[in-house]
Amino acid sequence: MRGRMNAGLLVGGALVGLVVLAAVASFFWTPHDPTLVDAAHRLREPGGGYLLGADKFGRDTFSQLMVGARTTLYVGIVAVGIAALIGTPLGVLAGMTPRGWLSELVMRVNDLVFAFPALLLAVMLGAVYGPGTLTAMIAIGVATVPAFARVARAATLQVMVTDYILAARAAGRRRAAIAVRHVLPNIGSMLIVQASVSFAIAILAEAALSFLGFGTRPPIPSWGRMLQESQELLFSTPRLALWPGLAIALAVLGFNLLGDGLRDFLDPKLRRIRAEG
Amino acid sequence: MLKVEDLTVRAGPVELVRDVSFGIAPGERVGLIGESGSGKSLTALSLMGLLPEGVTAAGRARLADRDLVGVPESRVKDLRGRDLSMVFQEPMTALNPLMRIGAQVAEVMTLHGRSRQEARERSLELLGRVRLPEPAQIARAYPHQLSGGQRQRVMLAIALANEPRLLICDEPTTALDVTVQKQMLELIAEVAPALLFITHDLAVVASVCERVLVMYGGRVVESGPIREVFTRPRHRYTQGLLAASRLTPRGTRLPTIKGSVPPAGRFPGGCVFRNRCPHATPACETVPELTGDGHAYACWHPAH
Amino acid sequence: MTLYFVKRAAVLIASTAVAAVAVFAFMALLPGDPAEIALGVNATPEAVAELRRQFGTDRAPVAQFLDWAGGLLQGDFGTSYVTSAPIGPQISDRLGVTAVLVLGGMAVALVLAVPLGTFAAVHHRDPLGAAISAASQLGIAIPAFLAGILLVFVFAVQAQALPSGGYVPIAENPGEWLRSLLLPWLSLGLVQGAVLTRYVRSAVLDVMREDYLRTARAKGRGRTGALWRHGLRNASIPVVTVLGLQLATLLIGAVVVERVFVIPGLGDLLLNGVAGRDLLLVQGVVMVLVAAVLLINFVVDVLYHLLDPRLR
Repeated sequence: MRGRMNAGLLVGGALVGLVVLAAVASFFWTPHDPTLVDAAHRLREPGGGYLLGADKFGRDTFSQLMVGARTTLYVGIVAVGIAALIGTPLGVLAGMTPRGWLSELVMRVNDLVFAFPALLLAVMLGAVYGPGTLTAMIAIGVATVPAFARVARAATLQVMVTDYILAARAAGRRRAAIAVRHVLPNIGSMLIVQASVSFAIAILAEAALSFLGFGTRPPIPSWGRMLQESQELLFSTPRLALWPGLAIALAVLGFNLLGDGLRDFLDPKLRRIRAEG
Repeated sequence: MLKVEDLTVRAGPVELVRDVSFGIAPGERVGLIGESGSGKSLTALSLMGLLPEGVTAAGRARLADRDLVGVPESRVKDLRGRDLSMVFQEPMTALNPLMRIGAQVAEVMTLHGRSRQEARERSLELLGRVRLPEPAQIARAYPHQLSGGQRQRVMLAIALANEPRLLICDEPTTALDVTVQKQMLELIAEVAPALLFITHDLAVVASVCERVLVMYGGRVVESGPIREVFTRPRHRYTQGLLAASRLTPRGTRLPTIKGSVPPAGRFPGGCVFRNRCPHATPACETVPELTGDGHAYACWHPAH
Repeated sequence: MTLYFVKRAAVLIASTAVAAVAVFAFMALLPGDPAEIALGVNATPEAVAELRRQFGTDRAPVAQFLDWAGGLLQGDFGTSYVTSAPIGPQISDRLGVTAVLVLGGMAVALVLAVPLGTFAAVHHRDPLGAAISAASQLGIAIPAFLAGILLVFVFAVQAQALPSGGYVPIAENPGEWLRSLLLPWLSLGLVQGAVLTRYVRSAVLDVMREDYLRTARAKGRGRTGALWRHGLRNASIPVVTVLGLQLATLLIGAVVVERVFVIPGLGDLLLNGVAGRDLLLVQGVVMVLVAAVLLINFVVDVLYHLLDPRLR
């Protein structure tokens, strides 16, 4: 591993770690059952076991945040997973193929899919199959494929002109073998960075979808839906909007910083948005 | 006309150029030779006030009656492009890719008071003067439509536009093809007023300049008329340099200077060349002064 | 150059056509027959068949698609199966609202990003520049609807200065129209502004390193003058290419912001359509949105080629 520890890596890693911790911990324990409607505690102020208070159904905000972290990570992992698994081979193919028309075609289709933003895809999918976490994941995943394909292709093109690739080709190795054994490991660092950035975008998309009612269905907690529910009570109980909002912002910030930090760490020469002079 | 005294250039604690002193008379062509890392470019940049961020210059430099070093930017920038101008090494990136050539040449004139109309007309003259064919067409073209040699001529035209007293050229032909180099050098020799010509190429400097300064490790180690310095070098570094650049008979080894140039800040104290000099003695732990008129050198054990 | 334009235009048309097919095919997957849904559970088969004939949903899919696409080209988006209202006018009414929302958001973003990004680049070594950089990091982590809610809280709840939602057409009351759009514009603009600031900063930093800036200074310009005259125009090119992408993102952001502020735009129409299972309406709106994105990309691409003489 080249490069050195940097602030982005540390802070980003810490924030992401926090989210992961909350999600994992939620499997074992939460202060209260976040799905339990408890009229006795409705709109309870913070205190006495309800660390951050309760919402209009009496559900504990803190517990909701913890379980909501699960959804956030779920969607991110599956979406980025789909995007990476589909986008990477496409990008590598486009970058390696000697057939210019194939490369051109793949990139044109890519651009077309790019024109369908995640939200739109999710709305359409939701209209057909009913809204929910699964449709959100698939929609966001498919919408993120173009980003991965582009990065994979650009990275592949860079790698293809390096001497050892040329040597491998001169030695007669088959393209497929070269792709797997030489290209993939070397574009890996760029893909990891993209994965982190796409994760952040996926979180934003899921939050927006949940906010609109197209994401995770009740009663499963979701940060985006918590925000939507908080809107009507904004005048009286603003804290209901504060916590999920903060959670979303910190999670996204964490993944963004992590992505930047990884970029600096894995290949300092790659810095596209330069952080210093 | 140009007088430089004890010029020192620092980047933080590291001294990149130390106690450099020299002068250039009106119309004189002086060469500044040295390897990469010798500080020659920085010397030139400090005269122009174009040192990069974090690099500072101390000492004295005067062009006629104006101070160049130690003055705030606002007071020096009206000299640039007018009394003092520079041609850089890399022609491919020196011009703004989004502006037409004519506009870029005219800019240096309008910046110093000429009217747009005058500047435009004079641009065409200048482009002709640097021997560019079809000046009108060139003026309307964009940089990417010109070759490296053509772009460098444009840079020369810009540098000469306001009839400067001193033209500084920093490796102007290094990035060009050999055939183009020759034409460029002839052109420079023809049109330049006083000239400070920086290069690492001994043959090039010999063809253009009358006097030469040899720099190593941030110091001037030898100076004098070209003919003399090149035929009877006094400083051991100059001697080594010349020996390495001569064609040797078949079968013999190319003479080289032992060791390699230390990185900035790691030059030895005292005589800056002593860790590579076969004639070094403990006396060389003291910095030698530049001695001699006309042909000067800074060495405790000079040749000849 | 003209060849490039023609090629790009051809790609645009082809992409739009493919998108139309994709959208139609997608919506055709919607379970449930519009006629059955309209008539309810107790409808007789004959009534359903009759309605299907009226709707045109008894024909082959290809025929339906061609009919729909043909209508689109003439500006006819068909009539809703659910509300029996023509779709075209609904879309055109709301298109203007969404367009104003998006353009206003973009304006806010630019006004914020250009000076801040330039400043951050010029001062990238000192704390102020770093602070702007950090702030922009935070800005991009906040989704537009969160920004909206925050702004509503500050300006509507606390300060009681601006409305928390609702929209007033400009014809009715220009003053109220402006007030109803200020917070939505800010919600979109602040977030996009943060994203753009980072791009502007990066572009200006790149330009600051260019040799031609040094040439400009050698001509006699000061640092600021050189940057102003040579740097900014050159830096604007990469920023313009990003603007297109941002406009598309803004369009989608507008969909959500319309929900937050209850603004009757295309996004609102789309969401209502999905909720009401109004297939044809959703088809129409999605088509308009996708076509808009494709068109924006096309315009930006051509613009970029026009601005950079090296590409002409």
